[in-house]
Amino acid sequence: MSTNGSADDRGGRRRHIGRPGWGRLSQRPGLRARVTLMFGLGALVLSVAMGSLAYFTARHYLLSDQENAAKKVAFQSARYVQGALPGNADITGLLESLDAGAGVASHSVLYHNGGWYSSVTSVSQQALSPALKGLVRSGTPATQNFTLNGAPQIAVGVPIPSVKADYFEIFNVSDLAHTLRVLALTLFGAGLITTALGYALGRSASGRSLRPLNSVSRAAMAIAGGNLRTRLPAASDDPDLAGLTLSFNRMVDQLQERIERETRFTSDVSHELRSPLTTLSASVEVLESHRDELSTRDRRALDLLAADLRRFQRMVDELLEISRSDTGSAELWLEDVDADELVRRAVAVSVANLRRPEEAQADGVPTIDVDAVAGVRLRVDKRRFERIMANLLENAYNYGGGATRVTAEPGPVRHGQPTVRVSVEDHGPGLAPGERAKVFERFYRGQAAGRRGTGTGTGLGLALVAEHVRLNGGKVWAEAGDEGGARFVVELPVTTDSEGPRLDEWEPV
Amino acid sequence: MSARILVVEDDERIRSSMRLALEGEGYDVDEAESGEDALDHFSAQSSDVALIDLMLPGMDGFECCRALRRQSAVPIIIVTARTDTHDVVAGLEAGADDYVTKPFVAKELGARIRALLRRARPAEDEPKVLTFGDLELLPDQGVLRRRDGEEIHCTRTEFRLLCELAANPNKVLSREQLLDRVWGYDYFGDGRLVDVHIRRLRTKVEPDPALPRHILTVRGMGYKLVP
Repeated sequence: MSTNGSADDRGGRRRHIGRPGWGRLSQRPGLRARVTLMFGLGALVLSVAMGSLAYFTARHYLLSDQENAAKKVAFQSARYVQGALPGNADITGLLESLDAGAGVASHSVLYHNGGWYSSVTSVSQQALSPALKGLVRSGTPATQNFTLNGAPQIAVGVPIPSVKADYFEIFNVSDLAHTLRVLALTLFGAGLITTALGYALGRSASGRSLRPLNSVSRAAMAIAGGNLRTRLPAASDDPDLAGLTLSFNRMVDQLQERIERETRFTSDVSHELRSPLTTLSASVEVLESHRDELSTRDRRALDLLAADLRRFQRMVDELLEISRSDTGSAELWLEDVDADELVRRAVAVSVANLRRPEEAQADGVPTIDVDAVAGVRLRVDKRRFERIMANLLENAYNYGGGATRVTAEPGPVRHGQPTVRVSVEDHGPGLAPGERAKVFERFYRGQAAGRRGTGTGTGLGLALVAEHVRLNGGKVWAEAGDEGGARFVVELPVTTDSEGPRLDEWEPV
Repeated sequence: MSARILVVEDDERIRSSMRLALEGEGYDVDEAESGEDALDHFSAQSSDVALIDLMLPGMDGFECCRALRRQSAVPIIIVTARTDTHDVVAGLEAGADDYVTKPFVAKELGARIRALLRRARPAEDEPKVLTFGDLELLPDQGVLRRRDGEEIHCTRTEFRLLCELAANPNKVLSREQLLDRVWGYDYFGDGRLVDVHIRRLRTKVEPDPALPRHILTVRGMGYKLVP
């Protein structure tokens, strides 16, 4: 219970730490999108505000200008009417002459002695509002905006009390409306362009300011991928970025130093252990060559010593191998080889090494079926492949009652590259689904049912298989075998280009 | 007469255990605890095979290897605690014929020594003289010389490698075949042995080692000798 509790706590804390950062980022737009959007919105608001201000100011100015001009013309016309009206019988003619002389597009309407007169038949007193008429009748000049036949108009009413007449002049102001429409369209267009420019500016500026972040992210990816030599180039001219670069690089320096120190330690320990191991193994071999002369008790002791010495030796080798993989200092020695021959040879060597003389008859040799990949070329590190097969066979031997069958067959095409699948099957109890990924973990000890002896393995065998397969560009997994045992499958890419690796032109590191 | 092995190793316990194991394999063993000691010893009493540890105090294993190579064609096996490309290749380039890594199995070491001591295989139908370019190889005498009689010094392993190639002119020999025939390794032997020895041979027999005319690399396949 307590272990469960602490695991939950850890999980909970991790989630909590994760949430404000990456958890939410995945749900809302990215920083760049947000900055871009903000710039775009800002430009839009700004252009709407500026555009509206410009439009309404201009409109107000133009309208009052127009009204003043109209009033001026109307007063002039009214004065003329005042002088010309008395005794004039042709009032309509008088109004027509006013229209022609005004110099602007206007029509005149006159109320005189209870009758309405207008310069043109299309414009009559009906267009004028009663309010306007009332105001003028009461002796107050007034204006009225209205629309006539779809065209905007201004009517100016001027009372002429001396001749008992009310003079109205109606101006067609569709020119002004047109001007305002053009202005509005222009401002709208300018607003659109400003918004687009703002969006583009935001995009470019955020891109530029995110560039250091992108390079940090790329560098971090490279480091996570094992390339600890990755550093950010020094941004000397930018004080804002220099700090980031400096602290990032310092962090990687320390990380690298720490990893190197730890690996050096593992590697040093492994190397230092090799000297006493050499003495031990050479001496034990001398004793083993005189095995027959020893008593049964001594022989048993020697066998124990020899067996565990070999195991110890393997452990040191495998630790060293794993520490190399961890630091990315593992060297790959690639050769083009025939898949069938490679598998056959590797199984033969591994089986021979696996069998101690006293166990020679213990298990049948696995059947090897590699004909399906005859002539298929693989580009692999032969030594590593041999280790893969040796460890898989040893695993089958230790935990699966021995390998029953080794098969090599064409696998699926992945990323346009054909593959070969090599599988090792045993007739042990098989692996529970939950165990299948775990067996590749270091020092994982499973159910251990059907296990041969105690402490036969090093605990690193399958972890190294995974490392070797990964370095060779392949995949490995465990699944249920056809006969109830476990099946380990190694999938390796097939060499497709005709250019083989060069033979003697590699560079020593 | 059993072969004399010179063991150059600074760790006294390893030296003693190696002596015991090699004597068990039927060899006579001489010990040297440093490179300088080894050279002194070698000038007084020559050996059939030298085993040189790479990590020696004072003169290191590489230097010892080079110094020994300057005065003799004796087969040299370097003993290293590291399997990094750098050490192995540097050791081979310093003139070693083969290498073993610590901790080694004495039986395996015995097999390596026996392979190095083997003479070039005298095939029945093999001619007495193999020629290519202006060079002559006399397999049964172990002599490589120019037509004008000038002898070219090479180690026993280099000589055997050259014999294998020259006996099969224009035929591609894979790394595995050469490893098997010259060093006695199986399919999983270290191909770097062949590559470094080919490089060393080229510097001796090619007019321009960078542009070889006789010992050619066949990409992805192996090597062949063109007369």
